[in-house]
Amino acid sequence: MLTAVHKRLLCVCALALCAGVPARAQTLPSDPVVFGNGRVTLGGDVSWSIAPEDTGFFNYTDYEHSTLRMVRLALIASVKADDHLALLAEVRSENGEHPEPYGLYLRIRPWTGRAFDIQVGRVPPTFGAFARRTYAADNPLIGYPLAYQYLTSIHADALPRTTDELLRMRGRGWLSNFSIGNPAPDRGVPLVSAFRWDTGVQLHAESNLIEATGSFTTGTISNPRFSDDNGGRQIAGRVVLRPLVGLIVGGSAARGPFVSRTALRAALGEAGAGDDAFTQTAWGSDVEYSRDYYLLRLETVVSTWTLPLVSATAGQLPLRAVGTSAEGRYKFRPGLYGAARVDHLGFSDIATALTRESWEAPVTRVAVGGGYSIQRNLLLKLEFQHNTREGGRVQRLNLGAAQVVFWF
Amino acid sequence: MIVVRTQRKRRTQGIGRSQWAPLVSLFLAAAGFVSFAASLTPSASSASSASSFSRAGASGAIRGRVELRRVPSVSERRPNVSDLGTASHRDLPDRLRSVVYLETAPRGAFEQTETGHATLDQRNETFVPHVLAITTGTTVDFPNSDRIYHNVFSLSKTASFDLGRYAVGHSKSIRFDKPGIVRVFCEIHSHMSAFILVFSHPFFAMTDSDGRYRIDNVPPGTYAVIAWNEGVSSDPAPVTVPNGGIAELDIALR
Repeated sequence: MLTAVHKRLLCVCALALCAGVPARAQTLPSDPVVFGNGRVTLGGDVSWSIAPEDTGFFNYTDYEHSTLRMVRLALIASVKADDHLALLAEVRSENGEHPEPYGLYLRIRPWTGRAFDIQVGRVPPTFGAFARRTYAADNPLIGYPLAYQYLTSIHADALPRTTDELLRMRGRGWLSNFSIGNPAPDRGVPLVSAFRWDTGVQLHAESNLIEATGSFTTGTISNPRFSDDNGGRQIAGRVVLRPLVGLIVGGSAARGPFVSRTALRAALGEAGAGDDAFTQTAWGSDVEYSRDYYLLRLETVVSTWTLPLVSATAGQLPLRAVGTSAEGRYKFRPGLYGAARVDHLGFSDIATALTRESWEAPVTRVAVGGGYSIQRNLLLKLEFQHNTREGGRVQRLNLGAAQVVFWF
Repeated sequence: MIVVRTQRKRRTQGIGRSQWAPLVSLFLAAAGFVSFAASLTPSASSASSASSFSRAGASGAIRGRVELRRVPSVSERRPNVSDLGTASHRDLPDRLRSVVYLETAPRGAFEQTETGHATLDQRNETFVPHVLAITTGTTVDFPNSDRIYHNVFSLSKTASFDLGRYAVGHSKSIRFDKPGIVRVFCEIHSHMSAFILVFSHPFFAMTDSDGRYRIDNVPPGTYAVIAWNEGVSSDPAPVTVPNGGIAELDIALR
């Protein structure tokens, strides 16, 4: 249901876009706004996605936000003090809500002659490839890869008492709850969050052939946090090789304490509150190859969460999830492309008193679509999705979506 | 501000304006050139391309200087907070050079079948030159001189094309048969852009770094001259080219 704020926002967006639609192509300004003698640069990104109700919550990023039904406004700024120091920020508003700083960090280049940077603040994700491609213009489709968006049932601040309790929440990640810790129903976590960035310190170095990034941040890749909730820090790293032009091969790893101190205290008592054994550990690999008019991407994320299980003698519940997506794009003619993505999320089995099954319902999505550029920075996209899930209330759902993207 | 000065170098035989005007008007109306000329908002390159136009026996020239009263700002990269580090160094495009051209051209200017080659290089994340002025029928080569991919494309009505991604040392070409302005971009690097101005006549010139230009081999007559820079064009300025002489015209832009 659209609120009055949403409607006003949609009107503003529509007016802004329609007012700029030119009689002839490429007359809408597409250059960023520059002032302060080139020190301050402002860019913007507006996307408006519409789709029918996603009754299976396949595309939701929390109970209220779906990637297929969203108006997003983003203002991006770069303020350069000198060749050594810059401040970068992105403020986003989704569906007319209050703007929030998506990214806000200092970039320090100690030696101008060396490609080595230190970034401090709310920094872009180190892990994986897709999380830094979430601008609508960078995503050939409208929906996100499942590993970066689909909500599993588990929480950082609430824990199941038994495996049966965990299994009861299969396929309900958009609004699940558990009996230990925070009992309020809330969204679960994806394998990797593409919607909240890390907070901490990031180091990055690169050459023509290789680039390497490491970071020390709060939260974990599935639950990045601005303020720490468990006294632990995540360590993440990524290495990218470019052995030949057009080929990018990446590998990522991350590990950090996942369960909040409050939930640990509720599960294990005061003595267990400081236990940092309950972590999220993730590995990722990604390949991209492009040439002429086609582009192919393959990405895999393997994530293991270790939760305390008070009802079991072993005391630990390892939960593994594997997300794999293959994506392709082909340009048919100037301004027109087609794209497709095949996506699967699989989960490890756990045993109950009576059965053994995966702790979350596996999900598969096949998406096809395409885009047409009315002008360079004004893009229309269409997508059709076929979602299947081996559990939950809605197990099959076809969805169509459309999106308008404008950037400068 | 437009300053017109006329120098008569030498008197030779030629076709006077009174003889040209009705013919030119007829031709323009038939060819629809007037509408193109009116829509052309240029910038340009190359020394005077009119040198091959030798139909008029005693042609003259137009020369002068284009003054940019507001220097076009340097194109900055679009800020991208997703980058894990500082973007690599790139060259900056030369946005100071303008194109000067005749709004309407003498009869016969459109009858040329001469075709040629021009090059728009992709070098250090910049199109070089930033502005290219050519005549219709010219084939433009787009070599990639960078170690990274570029993807040259244009959605302009004058010429719509997408060259795809190709590596260093490779080149693709497009022949431009329709007059107009073509905005060229790189799909991968949003800060890369260039202009190609395609003229149906050879009476145009690029300014040098000081803004000076010279259009040679212009038959005697009165013409409207336009200067263009980065999407901004001057009002047409009348100038009379004497028989075998040089007309001087300074133009201020912005």
